[in-house]
Amino acid sequence: MEKKNNYEAGLGSDAVKNPQRIVFITKKTSAKVKGDVGPQWMSYPHLLLRESVAFQIMVIVLVAIALLWDAPLEQLADPLLTPNPAKAPWYFLGLQELLHYFPPLVAGIIIPTLVVLALIVIPYFDVNVQGEPLWAANRARHLRIFLSTLVALVILLAIFRAWTVLAPSLAVGGLLLFSFFLKPGGRPRMEFLRTRPVSWWVMTWFITVSVVLTLVGTFFRGPGWSWVWPWRGHVF
Amino acid sequence: MATTSLDHALERLRSTRVWKSIFRRDPAHTNRTRSLAIFGNFFLHALPAKVRQQSLRVRATYYLGSATFFLFAVLTITGILLMLYYHPAVPQAYRDMKDLRFVVSNGVFLRNLHRLAAQAMVVAVFWHMFHVFYRGGYRPPREFNWVVGVGLLLITLFLSYTGYLLPWDQLAFWAITVGTNIISAMPALGKPIRFLLLGGNLVGENALLRFYVLHCVILPLVAVVLIGVHFWRVQKDGGLSVQQKVEEEEGGKEE
Amino acid sequence: MSESGKSPAPKPLGAQPTGTSRRDFLNEVAVGALGIAGLGAVVITYRYLSPNVLFEPSPTFRAGGPDLYPVNSVTYLHEQQVYIVRTEQGFYAVSAVCTHLGCITQWKPDANQIACPCHGSKFRSDGTKIEGPAPRPLPHFSITLTADGELMVNKLETVKPSQTLRV
Repeated sequence: MEKKNNYEAGLGSDAVKNPQRIVFITKKTSAKVKGDVGPQWMSYPHLLLRESVAFQIMVIVLVAIALLWDAPLEQLADPLLTPNPAKAPWYFLGLQELLHYFPPLVAGIIIPTLVVLALIVIPYFDVNVQGEPLWAANRARHLRIFLSTLVALVILLAIFRAWTVLAPSLAVGGLLLFSFFLKPGGRPRMEFLRTRPVSWWVMTWFITVSVVLTLVGTFFRGPGWSWVWPWRGHVF
Repeated sequence: MATTSLDHALERLRSTRVWKSIFRRDPAHTNRTRSLAIFGNFFLHALPAKVRQQSLRVRATYYLGSATFFLFAVLTITGILLMLYYHPAVPQAYRDMKDLRFVVSNGVFLRNLHRLAAQAMVVAVFWHMFHVFYRGGYRPPREFNWVVGVGLLLITLFLSYTGYLLPWDQLAFWAITVGTNIISAMPALGKPIRFLLLGGNLVGENALLRFYVLHCVILPLVAVVLIGVHFWRVQKDGGLSVQQKVEEEEGGKEE
Repeated sequence: MSESGKSPAPKPLGAQPTGTSRRDFLNEVAVGALGIAGLGAVVITYRYLSPNVLFEPSPTFRAGGPDLYPVNSVTYLHEQQVYIVRTEQGFYAVSAVCTHLGCITQWKPDANQIACPCHGSKFRSDGTKIEGPAPRPLPHFSITLTADGELMVNKLETVKPSQTLRV
């Protein structure tokens, strides 16, 4: 009944007499991994040495800063007294800036959820795996789609008076429009801009808006979330 | 003279039975024993025995992933030390902060280091993610490891956020109040989730204890597991991704 | 395994051959049992994590006699996070907790408005919104007079803004 295997699972310690199966080599590769590229170095010691040097540099920098800078500690928590302005940790200040413009459901739940979902699905979109430049083909159609998206976005943000989102969006949009008019064979930097795929533009827009919002929330917002100039000394 | 005697002493140490029982290999002078040094070591066996020359260059990674992991290690060590002087109770938690500053030897230094490393880890995680994106490191076959990375980003943010409440000062209290009120804006599920997270309707004793347990036990455990998967998958997916341009050049040469 | 095609599973007498084999059935039972056990564990943990007794301030409180509040005034009760407003028509109680994200608002007598420090919402003294991201006006709480002539506010009960307490 049982089909006899054509190998022996050896139990003896004599490797010649009883070879043990360690691995099967099949003709098809199961992993989606390409062959190795370029020359290779032994991890020990080359990688470990670099990693330990990196670790040491990092610890030295951290210790130096920790000796000079003190972690903030304010008054004992008082549920009856809201400080003015009440600010979240700096990495949530972009979100808090959004909360200033949009209702909590939109700014606090929908936008972050969409961002996380977008990040998760990035690698599963097989469109344009090769990183085709946005302006490589269908230039007129791509320009139409881009311009209508930009106009819709600008109108939406203007309705909510979300100027600190609008300004960086316009900046990135302007750069994208600028890249449309670039001719092939320009300077390396221009050539770089001209050949970016759409995913690059979306991520750059996202990063620019996040950085601007975080900076505005950290340095340019004072009592009642009103606009202040950091050099006037309202903040910190 | 001194070096030779040191070498001699090391040689003697390596030939002892105890040393051999621990490392089970000859000195790492050959490629075989250097490989054994990696995959014969529990702590290193997630690393590859060989790495590409391209991925060893600083510009390939800027050591951002490594830096994130190092910061996590620093945070674990300083965090455990800080736990020894911390009571998750109102208002004792705040008094402990004062004690760390004025009473405990080097307490303020450890707290500074922990806070600083926490901020740096948030920066490092984001930077690492953007770097991987721009280098195309999320492309197949690495798509699942990118998702694990997104999970680690969320865990890092949540770790930082739960830690923010623990000093129980004004900054902490109001940041958490505003943050948890955002959750209650979620339709239907928001209010129950907030109640569960805070252990009540207000940010109080229960909330402090829950955030403490999340910050010190639950989230670090999840983070360690995900970090393990993340590192392991880097190897299983064929090592660090090499920049597209270089790959094309190399491929062109081969053809 | 022995069950590789040649030896069919013995069929029960008189039973029609159905699409579900015994193995499939047992697998489904096992998965179902695990699912029920898992669901039970989740429910029990959820119940455990929801505290039954809360040590939080009482939602009803006495606000003293009506004479404490002059006509056409807004008084902030710090401990209770409530504004007691007295107009010529009478009394009403307005929540001081911003409807946006729960920050404690502040009464600005100079501007004659209630301002939230967190995201810049502004309200009139009757709780209606002037500007800012707050989604709703500040709610009014039920305010009554006790038998011994003191104001009594119940923060669990919200009332229409048109209701005022005449004294």
